[in-house]
Amino acid sequence: MASTAAAARTELAVKKKSKNRSPLYQGWKRFKRHRLAVIGLVWVSLFFIAGVIGPWVAPYDYRVGDFLAINQGPSLKHIFGTDNVGHDMFSQILYSVRSALIIALGATLVSFVIGIVLGLWAGLRGGIADVIIMRAVDFMMTLPGFLFALILVILLGRGYWSLILAIGIPGWAGYARLVRSLVLGMRNGEMVEAATALGASQAHIARRYMLPNVVGSMGVALAFGIPGDLVQIAGLSIFGMGLQPPIPSFGNMIAQASDNILGFPWLLYFPAGIFALTLLSFLFVADGLQEAFSPKGGN
Amino acid sequence: MAVARFIAKRLVQIIITLILVISASYIMMYYSPGGFMNSSIMATALAPLQGQNPVLYHQVMDQFESRYGLNLPLWQQILKYLWHEFSFDFGNSMQNPSLHISAQLKQTLPVSALLAFGSVVLSVVIGVPLGIIAALKRNTWIDYVVSTVSLAGQAIPAFVLAVIMVLLFGVVFQGILPVTGWGSWKEMVLPVICLAAGNVGVVARYMRGSLIETLRQDYIRTAKAKGVKYWPLVFKHGVKNSLTAMITVIGPQFAFTVMGTIWVEQIFAIPGLGQVMQSAFTSFDYPLAITSVFLLGSMIMLMNLLVDIVYALIDPRVKL
Repeated sequence: MASTAAAARTELAVKKKSKNRSPLYQGWKRFKRHRLAVIGLVWVSLFFIAGVIGPWVAPYDYRVGDFLAINQGPSLKHIFGTDNVGHDMFSQILYSVRSALIIALGATLVSFVIGIVLGLWAGLRGGIADVIIMRAVDFMMTLPGFLFALILVILLGRGYWSLILAIGIPGWAGYARLVRSLVLGMRNGEMVEAATALGASQAHIARRYMLPNVVGSMGVALAFGIPGDLVQIAGLSIFGMGLQPPIPSFGNMIAQASDNILGFPWLLYFPAGIFALTLLSFLFVADGLQEAFSPKGGN
Repeated sequence: MAVARFIAKRLVQIIITLILVISASYIMMYYSPGGFMNSSIMATALAPLQGQNPVLYHQVMDQFESRYGLNLPLWQQILKYLWHEFSFDFGNSMQNPSLHISAQLKQTLPVSALLAFGSVVLSVVIGVPLGIIAALKRNTWIDYVVSTVSLAGQAIPAFVLAVIMVLLFGVVFQGILPVTGWGSWKEMVLPVICLAAGNVGVVARYMRGSLIETLRQDYIRTAKAKGVKYWPLVFKHGVKNSLTAMITVIGPQFAFTVMGTIWVEQIFAIPGLGQVMQSAFTSFDYPLAITSVFLLGSMIMLMNLLVDIVYALIDPRVKL
């Protein structure tokens, strides 16, 4: 008698434990198995922290150059060296992390919101709206987003807001297509059909079955989207159309360093190295997320 | 016949897309702050006149505006540019009125096209074998190294790689390969490698997936049961059939590479389309900017069309 009760209790405990294993928790467990993805996540987190606390930890102001210490190599006073007007490179990088993150997150959010709205509209409404939106998606997909961004920057200017819009607006097509396919896939999917047959309410279906599935795919799409936007921001600077100096940005630093690379190579090591490492980390995280959350990524 | 109809349909689509892109770009440039009349050298030179003799100043400015067709209604200007582009008579550049755009393109377009094609070819030549190796040695350390390296190649943009190359070959291994300029094959090596790196990763990853998928097919098992040896099985039955799928990656990769060319040209100081584009965009040289958008767009879309046709010709299962 007592043993059956104990068995029942353990069974209950097991059940309780397995109930805690939401799709998110299981995804996290799968994610943790990818060592590179976890290392990437650590670096990405550091990048975010640096972006938030940057202005308080930066030893120097980004606008102020020390004219008595131009083009110096790394030293105790300036651990990453100084550039041709005496800016402390460490501070420049800290501020660049901030500007890069603000624009990349803003732009990704803009593309994401436009994409979700249009994707939902196309997927739920169908009919003529679907046709028109998907045609527009095809149109945006044929030409590289950078080309659209370039033209938009001319119209909008080179400030924070204009760059967010210039990079964000052309980026919606991929998200819209993803959202539409998710909506269509789920609306006609067996899981939703089964839940409806069992008498689940619409809200319950949306919360319990649709949302967890969407969150994974969206997270993967965002994780690939942010580094893509980071590249575009820097690419615009290389083209001479990024953030207006003196606001520091990775693109400007890399472009500037490549001009006097022969004399002062450390001006390149740190910005280019950190930028490359960051992109790589984002991609490792995105890759790990994809394998952890995509329905086919079980292998 | 079906092929001819398919091509005709796609060409019409391409033309419509180009009309939309050109009109949209022109409208945006037209309404952008600054504009050619305010940012050109001529405007700077005439600025003192504004104070001395405003009447004369406005007369001169009006003269210039009408000379460049900037006083026409917007829709007429757009039509003018569309006509220019589609008749391939691009007119003269605004910042260098004596320079015919066609002559400028004759020098710069082949350079960029050579870079783009060279890097796409190189990425296929390196990426396909890497993908095959990774697929055959699946889940071994070789596979992990190939996958990680290709992910790294994909993550690091061409311009970062380009500056690293300049650093390596300009400072550390000085004198092996030139890091600036254009002319001989030697100057092509580094830019092409930079552009190819990202594509190598994409091609290798795609090839790996495609080959693994192909080797799971029933006909592979049948061939194995019939006694086909390992290498003929892998190459004749597996790789050959996965390669057809590879062709579809080349279209988007080409588009990606063309945009990368623009960045890499900046860093290696190569006189290509990228440099032309940059000067056109930064100084509001409308005809030149519109022409470069037109060329980039048509190049990318025609390449996609070509890829689709080749794909249908190679793979009998695909219907146009």
